[in-house]
This record gives sequence, C-alpha cells and structure tokens, in this order.
Amino acid sequence: MIHELVESRFDVLVLGAGPSGHKAAIQAAKVGKRTLIVDREPAAGGECVQRGTIPSKTLRETAAYLMGLRARSEGVLDIAIPPQTKVESLMRRLKAVRTSHGTLLGQQLDRNHVTQWHGRARFLSENIVEVRFPDRSVRRVRADLIVVATGSRPRQPDNVQVDHEHVLDSDSILSMIYLPSSLTILGSGVIACEFASIYAALGVPVKVVDSAPRPLSFLDPELTLRYVQVLEQTGGSYLAGKKLETSRWEGQSVVTRLSDGTELLAEKCLCALGRVANVADLDLAAAGIALTPRGHVPVDENMRTVVPHIYAAGDVVGPPSLAATAVEQGRRAMRHALGLANHAASQHVPVGIYTIPEISTVGLSEEQAIAKHGSALVGRARFDELARAHINGQTHGLLKLIAAPDGRLLGAHVIGEGATELVHVAQMALVGGLSLDAFVDNVFNFPTLAEAYRVAAIDAEAQRAKRAAA
Amino acid sequence: MPSSPTRAPLPLELHESLELYLAEHFVLPVLPETAARVVALAQDPASGARDLERVLERDPSLASHVLRIANSAAFAPREPIVSLQQAVSRLGMTTIRDLSLAASLQGRVYRAAGQEELMRTIWAHCAVAAAFARETARRMRRNVEGAFLCGLLHDVGRPVVVQAALEAPGLLQKDANTPILLDAAMDEFHERVGARLVEAWGLAEWTAAVVAHHHAPERAGPYAEEACIARLADLLSHWALTEGSCAEDFPEEDAAVLDLNLYPEDVEALLALRDQALLCAEALR
Repeated sequence: MIHELVESRFDVLVLGAGPSGHKAAIQAAKVGKRTLIVDREPAAGGECVQRGTIPSKTLRETAAYLMGLRARSEGVLDIAIPPQTKVESLMRRLKAVRTSHGTLLGQQLDRNHVTQWHGRARFLSENIVEVRFPDRSVRRVRADLIVVATGSRPRQPDNVQVDHEHVLDSDSILSMIYLPSSLTILGSGVIACEFASIYAALGVPVKVVDSAPRPLSFLDPELTLRYVQVLEQTGGSYLAGKKLETSRWEGQSVVTRLSDGTELLAEKCLCALGRVANVADLDLAAAGIALTPRGHVPVDENMRTVVPHIYAAGDVVGPPSLAATAVEQGRRAMRHALGLANHAASQHVPVGIYTIPEISTVGLSEEQAIAKHGSALVGRARFDELARAHINGQTHGLLKLIAAPDGRLLGAHVIGEGATELVHVAQMALVGGLSLDAFVDNVFNFPTLAEAYRVAAIDAEAQRAKRAAA
Repeated sequence: MPSSPTRAPLPLELHESLELYLAEHFVLPVLPETAARVVALAQDPASGARDLERVLERDPSLASHVLRIANSAAFAPREPIVSLQQAVSRLGMTTIRDLSLAASLQGRVYRAAGQEELMRTIWAHCAVAAAFARETARRMRRNVEGAFLCGLLHDVGRPVVVQAALEAPGLLQKDANTPILLDAAMDEFHERVGARLVEAWGLAEWTAAVVAHHHAPERAGPYAEEACIARLADLLSHWALTEGSCAEDFPEEDAAVLDLNLYPEDVEALLALRDQALLCAEALR
C-alpha cells in the first residue's frame, strides 16, 4: 500500500458535502475561488440524502398517500396495511430518489468546478487539514478559508441499549425489514414526531414517550395539540412528562422503564433523543476551536467560529438541525467569509416538519410578536372551513397568522397537508413586508387550501376592527 | 467461501450434465419438520413465544441442541439457561429461529458421504460468516435483523451441490480429481441452488436474493446492501478461518469494502472481532 503525503493548496476548503457544505462550496466557486469539498461518503448530499431527510420523506410520502386514500375513499376501498409488510416495499422509489438527488448535487459541484474528495478529514492546524482516503492514502490541504459542515449522527444515551435490531436509531429504523407489531419512540423532537406519525399512519401502534409536557415544544401549542389529536386518531399516543429510566431488549420485547414505575413493552423501540455533532475525528482543538458543553461548534450570527477564517454551518452548530436552515447557514457563512452582503430576505427561513399532517412555520410566534410589539393580531383558519380540505378529506389543519398591531404580517404557523408548501405564501409576504390587507383584498383560487390565508386574515382584521371600536 | 478466480472451471460437459441433473432429477433437501415450523412461526405475527416453545418441545434432539448453543460462550448467558421457556425469553424468537435453523441445517443439509471434512469446513465458514454479518450490520448502523441468517445461509447451496454432484450417475469418477471438480461445481452452482433451497423452505424473499447474489451484490436489487454485507462476511470468514492470517492478508480493496464505504479503521474493527466470530462457530458446531 502506498502512503503518499502530498500537500494541496485551495482558497476554500469545505468539510462535509451535506446541505450546508454543498451550498457553501458552490457559493465560493461561483465567485471564482478554488474550492475543495471533502466528505466521508462517496456521493454528495450527506445524511440528508443517504440516511435522513430523503429516505424518511420517501417512506412518509407512501404513508401519507395511504392515509389520504383511506380518508378520501370513505370506506369504499379497504386501505389496510397487512401485518408483516416489508418496509422496503413501501420505499421502492428510494433508490431512484436518492440516486437522482445525489447525482444532481454532484453535477452541481462539477459544473462549478468544485474539487471533490472522498475521505475523512482532521485539522493539523488552523490552516492545514489532513485527509485520509479509504485506500489508506493521506493528503494534506492548506486553505485560506475553511467551513466545517460535517453534520450529525443519532445520540445514544447510556440508559438506552441501541442494538440496531430491537432498539433502533433514526438510521437503522429505515433498514427495518418488516413493520413492527408495536413501536415505542423515545423523544419528542422533530425526528421522533415524524417517525411516530409515519408508523402510526402505516397502522403500527405507536407510543411516544418524553419528559416534555407536549411534543415539538418549540412550536405554537395550538399546532402541537392538533398533531397529538391526529396521532391519537391513527392509533398512536403521546405520554407526556415521563422520565426515562432504561430501554432495552429483554428477549420477548423491548422494555422501556419509566421513573414512575411504568413499563412499556413493544416489539421495537426508536431512540430519537437528539443528535450529536460529527466532530470527534476532526480534532478541532488543533485549530484552536473548543466545543460548547453540548458538543456543538460555537459560531456567531455569521456562522464564524472563534478562528476568523474558520466557519461552521448545519447540524454541527446545533439546533434547529433542519436541511433548509443548513443550506441558508452554508450560504450565509460563505457570503460573509467572502465579504459579500447577506440580504435581509434570508432572515425569513421557514421550518418544515414532515409529520402527518405536515407542520410548517415562518417568522415570529405569537409570544415573540407580543414581546416585540406589545400586542399582536392573531387570525386563525381551521381547515374544516375550507371547501378544498373537505374535498381532500383532510379537515384537521389549522393556519394561524400573527401580525403587528398595525396589520403587518409577522409570522405564519400551519399544520395540515401541504403545510410545507403553503408556508411559502407567508414567507414571500414577510419578505415583501405585506400586511393582512393583502390577503383580504386579493382573490385566491377556489377551491384551494391557500384560501386559509384569506380566512385567517379576515379573522385577524375583525380583531383589529374590534380593538379600534373599543 | 469466496470463489477463487484462479480455480479452473468445470469442464463444459460436466457443467451441463450437473445443471440438467440439478434442474430435473435432484430432490432438494427438505427442511426438517420442526425447523420448518419454527421458521413459519417466526414469520407469523400472530404467533407467540409459547407457540415456539411447544414446537421445540416436540423435538427433544433439536431442543437440546438449541439449549446447548444458548448456553455457549458465544451467547454468554448471565445464568445457565435450563429451559426452552427461558431460552426463548432470553434470546427472543428470531434468535431461537436462527439457532433452530442452524442446528437443523447442520444435521440435514451439511452431509455428504465421504466428504465429511469438506462439510465441516463449509459449515464453519457459514457460522463465522453469520457472526461477521451481524456485527458488520451493527457497525454500519443498519438493522441487524436478518443479517445473521443471511450470513449463515449465504453458502447453503455448496453442500447441496456436492450432494448432487456425488449422486448424479456417472458424473464424477471419484478419483484424485474429485475435490477440484467439486470445488468448481460449488463455485458455479451454489448461489442459484442456495436461493432455490431458501425459497423452497419458505424463507423471506430478501434472504433468497442475498443468497443468490452474494458474489454480485449489485444484482440483488433492493437488497443489494444486505447482499454486500453477506459478501463482506464471506470474505471476513474466509480470512478468519485461514490459519496464520494477519490483518494485512484481508483483501480490503474488495468491491464490498468500497461499496459499504468502510474505511481502514472500520475494517480493522471488524477484523478485531475474529475471536468472537470463531466462538460463534464453535457454539454452532
């Protein structure tokens, strides 16, 4: 085996080819910087394409369609998933989806002349990184600007025996062969809630357990209440305020013991108690970067670390750990590093949660709006007020608009099918600085779910009228 | 066992005769009744531990074999397992299915008159591969469900090909050349015969796909990754059972290593499991 030590020189080095790294690399290349991107996987896309967003959303799509078909057929079609259904059979399109997305990302890098290396990196100093390749060869890279975007992986707490056979994490659950007869999910964050609603929609009895009083606690409580209602309608449940003692396979089933003495038995268990940054092999200390107590890379508002020419973006900097946010962080980091202006529009980044039904938000919450403006106008549109929702058989949605006392839109919060698409209407309104009047005065297609904006705006305007009259 | 590119192929005439015999005359070994019931139970969502215990109770020989394996160092029980109920409770239905199948296969399938040493060698190879397949899946954060079984069965076609070759009238002269011809016959037919066997026994479709394509995982369709793990386990087992082999002897440039995106430290971690895998083979002996 040849052990070759060659030093290469690049303007920009990006570690990790996931959403944030990919965006940062392309941003740098577009302004003519000689750019290298290094990833431990052979294809671009990171966890998003290989194990996270793309695979889980492919499974979700099948579950959502089956659930939607069940709702629309109203008993005409018997839409039941047989026991022992192969999970793979529900994700037949995954390989094609993954390949096409990974290829597209790779082609974008090629088109922009970004050099791609398949290897593992570690810092030797604040400007020099060593890359170890699968064939045991080693190269050194010197770069003026470095972006750390190595992503994250599932956390494995000591009290949960993840064996990838009975107790799974968010990676291994996607390679589960058969749908389990029962599933316990530990955690109440995005990953826990997405998988809970997917498996419940597929007919698996699901119990979600966490110490938090409600799931997705960073969201508007009205949205999470509806999430729990739909979960319960599909045979799932959320056990709130439960402290986990242990969870492990005990021969017959996975036994999850809670501090109140409760024992939950299930065929499988998903441990979704957070993620840890992929920094263990990077030796960031060699570059002079210390991690936060939670193991993330500390950055300022421009994604810059304590070392001025080293930036970090995506999951390595901690929550919200969402692909769309990671893309924006990568772009923002590189633009700042290159001295390019970051526009205000990029402040309005939506959050998309692919539960069934979807949840999405953009802008301020009701609480944040009141804190900032003293009071806020709140308008609601229940989907059971919309003709299209009745046609679709999906009436459990809600759109909530938050506006300043003068009517200027500040935020939107949506739960319901299509929420991750619907939210973009509000995003553009926020970018344009529009007020509620824009939704009231303009005509939307009928019948559509977007009509919810008009219904919610009228609801909020009524409050404003009442306040003015008072 | 990995096929070797240096081995001479079976002469065309012999290849065609054996192919015809396998297709038209050879009767595939039937899975013993108890093992077949255990396999069916493990795939039946309505069945429970008590059903499995009842089936095993009716076959004292298989039951004692399963208990012996469950008590071996490979499964390291914290306390001796003295009953089937305890074994099922401690190890779970899937593991008991795998152990029952292993015990049955060894007695029924890995038999060929005059080829006892060859059968023992193939069996040990499969048992070690089973242990490596399970640990490879675990290391890759893939579901290990089924990986052990795929490793155990990946070469199940080999003993059957030997049986067919010895049984086919006039095929082999049974002379000094026989071992070479048997090796060639196994290399050429074991994947498809193994897959037929696994299908005939009612095991899952993906198991058959892995057995059929463990030398060319890309042909296993949606189960390419599982087939790739079986291929790697095949290589690891071959390496582990080669006396005096050291880490440098492992073919880490094999396509399976690259396809699974294993780095040198990942391979080294798997090679370090050699003793554990050999212990598993010892338990299944």
